[in-house]
Amino acid sequence: MAVPLPAPVGSVTFAIDALSAIFILALGLVGAAACIYAVGYTTEYYRNRFRQLAGLFNAFLLSMLLVFSVSHAFAFLIAWELMAVVSFLLVIHDHHDAENVRAGYIYMLMTQLGTVFVATAFFLLAARAGSLDFGRMAALELDSRTAGLVFLASFIGFGTKAGMVPLHIWLPRAHPAAPSHVSALMSGIMIKTAIYGMARFYFDFLGTGPLWWGGIVLAVGVVSAVMGVLYALMENDLKRLLAYSSVENIGLILLGIGAGLVFAAGGKPGLAALAWTAALYHTVAHAVFKSLLFLGAGSVVFSTHTKNMEALGGLIKLMPYTAIVFLFGAAAIAALPPLSGFVSEWLTFQSLFLLPQALDGIKAKVAGAALVAVLGLTGALAAACFVKAFGIIFLAKPRSEHARYAEETPAVMWSAAGLLAGLCLVLGLFPQPLLAAISRVFAGKAGYDASVLQAGNWYTIAFRQADAGGALTPMGVFVLLIAGAVIAFAIFRFRGKPSIIGGETWTCGIVPDARMEYTGTGFSKPVRVAFRFILRPQRETLVREGGKYHGRKLSYHLSIRYIFNELYRPLNQSIIRVATKMKRIQTGSVQLYIGYLAAVTILVLVWNAWWLN
Amino acid sequence: MVKLKEMLLYIVQAGIIIAAAPLVAGIIKMSKARLQNRRGPGVLQVYFDIYKLLAKDSVVSPTVSWLFLAAPYVYFAAAAGAAALIPLLGQGADLFVVIYLFALGRFFLALASLDAGSAFGGMGGSREMFLSVLIEPALLLALMTLAINSGSTNLSLLSGAALTKDLSLAHIFAAVAFLIVLVAETGRIPVDNPDTHLELTMVHEGMTLEYSGRFLGLIVWASAIKQLAAILLFGMLFLPLPVSGAAGIALVVLLTALILACVETFTNKMRLFRVPGFLAVSGLLSLLALVAQ
Repeated sequence: MAVPLPAPVGSVTFAIDALSAIFILALGLVGAAACIYAVGYTTEYYRNRFRQLAGLFNAFLLSMLLVFSVSHAFAFLIAWELMAVVSFLLVIHDHHDAENVRAGYIYMLMTQLGTVFVATAFFLLAARAGSLDFGRMAALELDSRTAGLVFLASFIGFGTKAGMVPLHIWLPRAHPAAPSHVSALMSGIMIKTAIYGMARFYFDFLGTGPLWWGGIVLAVGVVSAVMGVLYALMENDLKRLLAYSSVENIGLILLGIGAGLVFAAGGKPGLAALAWTAALYHTVAHAVFKSLLFLGAGSVVFSTHTKNMEALGGLIKLMPYTAIVFLFGAAAIAALPPLSGFVSEWLTFQSLFLLPQALDGIKAKVAGAALVAVLGLTGALAAACFVKAFGIIFLAKPRSEHARYAEETPAVMWSAAGLLAGLCLVLGLFPQPLLAAISRVFAGKAGYDASVLQAGNWYTIAFRQADAGGALTPMGVFVLLIAGAVIAFAIFRFRGKPSIIGGETWTCGIVPDARMEYTGTGFSKPVRVAFRFILRPQRETLVREGGKYHGRKLSYHLSIRYIFNELYRPLNQSIIRVATKMKRIQTGSVQLYIGYLAAVTILVLVWNAWWLN
Repeated sequence: MVKLKEMLLYIVQAGIIIAAAPLVAGIIKMSKARLQNRRGPGVLQVYFDIYKLLAKDSVVSPTVSWLFLAAPYVYFAAAAGAAALIPLLGQGADLFVVIYLFALGRFFLALASLDAGSAFGGMGGSREMFLSVLIEPALLLALMTLAINSGSTNLSLLSGAALTKDLSLAHIFAAVAFLIVLVAETGRIPVDNPDTHLELTMVHEGMTLEYSGRFLGLIVWASAIKQLAAILLFGMLFLPLPVSGAAGIALVVLLTALILACVETFTNKMRLFRVPGFLAVSGLLSLLALVAQ
């Protein structure tokens, strides 16, 4: 579809191909659930500015749909900016909180920085193609230097939006600040627009590149995955924990993309398609379970009015449905079989494991094995992180008044999240339809073999290449688990009907109290100590009151140092320094400003006159 | 369906491992006792323990939720599922599936440990998840030493590859690397102590402290299954089979059990924060094995 616009833009074209379709599918699924959820969620909090919120929410959905469906650089950038501005307004919706406004401005700054790079990438292409249309850009044959520049510009630009380390600093601030159904969309879909952009560039515009492209993407993916999940595990603010976990998952997606680029460069079309499939499957799977978790977090905040995990606990009894759907999300994000996260984790494992197929030599073998181990590390850390999240929030006794008087949310909220929980199971047990949709992305693309995952049947994912192969039967694993549970039940009943006696939790003879429970900070302590060279934990002990020998009241303050935030410090300081210098010419006097204008006009005239001669 | 027979084979295999698991646990216990100049219980003692526990009432704290009651089933099912997927009778499966089935059981048991609201449970769960963070990369690296050359992560292909290969230096490195992981994964000294409830050392026992009666019986059995599955993995992949068939497998399991008992006798429990170094040794050996191939 083409919409004519005046020159120099030319007509704006819309086109939905197999790649767009996958992202629009994810947007549709998550968007629908978020809309249903919003019916219940927005009643209490935002009655006063409800229209504004609802309007912006819908504009946000529309802008993301536009990003996925336009096939014209100019329109893409407009949609991209629309999405940025609308999401910025949603982030600062609760603008009475100074923290939110600050988060909004950091977000705006970073996202604009990203847009500069994205626009640069587009303009480099458009200048060569002589057109802003995607089709013309795709037909372009680029020299290797321009291709390299476009690759770097697009990777940095989209990477900022994706929240990859070290450009992630906005993400853990902005996502928690927005209302939860918006956070769900931001973490579920908005950061995936960047993955869409990368896929569009690397498939259509750039084609097969040199090896170092894949190397860079893999390196950034590793750092994002490990740092993201470590910070998530340290976090006690529920929504910020989820935001850091999004950084991790973007890292996992980048691992798939990086492996895909390496395979494409190494001339392995089947494996290249496999690795990209892993990335795209994880994109959809993460969209579903991360928005599910954000909706669950929203329900917790809705009922308890706190995001602080240390003040929660025991919600599984007070909010049983929310607890079950949150458990589905937690298990899926920890990549446990038979849920959706495991399928994409398995595909990513396979792509990394097979990296030595594309490269020769011992280095490639060590790199492949090490990357598999790193992925295993992030998987285990993610499991620890979500044991902590679910365990501290939902289990044991309530740790504060907030949690003690929590009530289950309206049915419309937990059932919306329940839809997504069902999807986690469906995507985990029946991956075939989505895999088939993804394989259509590679049809006709040079350097990719779309038929790679066609070897299986409805219950098996299988691929077979020259000297590599693999198969996964999620349904079989599920059946085995069911059989195992049945055996366990038979054993349980083996010696007659069981009886259960009540008896308090053993706390060495003292009456148990919520203050004896393990805290979130305590739960993550072993990891904090073992990884102290990255996390740099600092503990301050303050003596509050009391004498020298008795009745002293101590208070501890624990913080970790975010090493990547410190990269920004010199930049920050130099901007402030330049701004201070600029102050001198900005006096506020209108006459002086008119003087500046006149001076610049005269300069331009003089320069023009010279230049024309 | 054609696959039905195959599926049945998996379940039969799981049944055999489930039935044999307490015996192997008993053998380890007895050989440990003999090494320490004790008479020790008979090899069947673990069966008697489980049989006794299965007749007892369960004391359950009023603090806990349904998750606490469901977790033993998930733990058992995950261990049994992993046992079915070792390439013995069945076709075997992908190694990632087996590892993530272990992770599934661990996830639910760690959640259950937080449910009763005691600090002992939380401490056990926290440490268990911490150890898993160290174990999983080391385990994957050790398995990669075999898998990376065969181009597949299917366990049946890996065990084939192990059988046909001569005993090389790389092979020994990889075997020691996996042995370290085996000790850690099955919760044995020097990483964890299966024989004590003392709060300073407990990891697995800390997590299960609130369980009693039938629930504890299920967990004890599931732990034994998990242990046997890991031992089988080690025996099938890293030890050369002396004789083929069931006798060979039995011999290999016996040998591994003896190795575990020796390790448990000759080493001390390690401080928790020394474990990262212990598992780093395993990782380094795996990398050496990769380079030496």
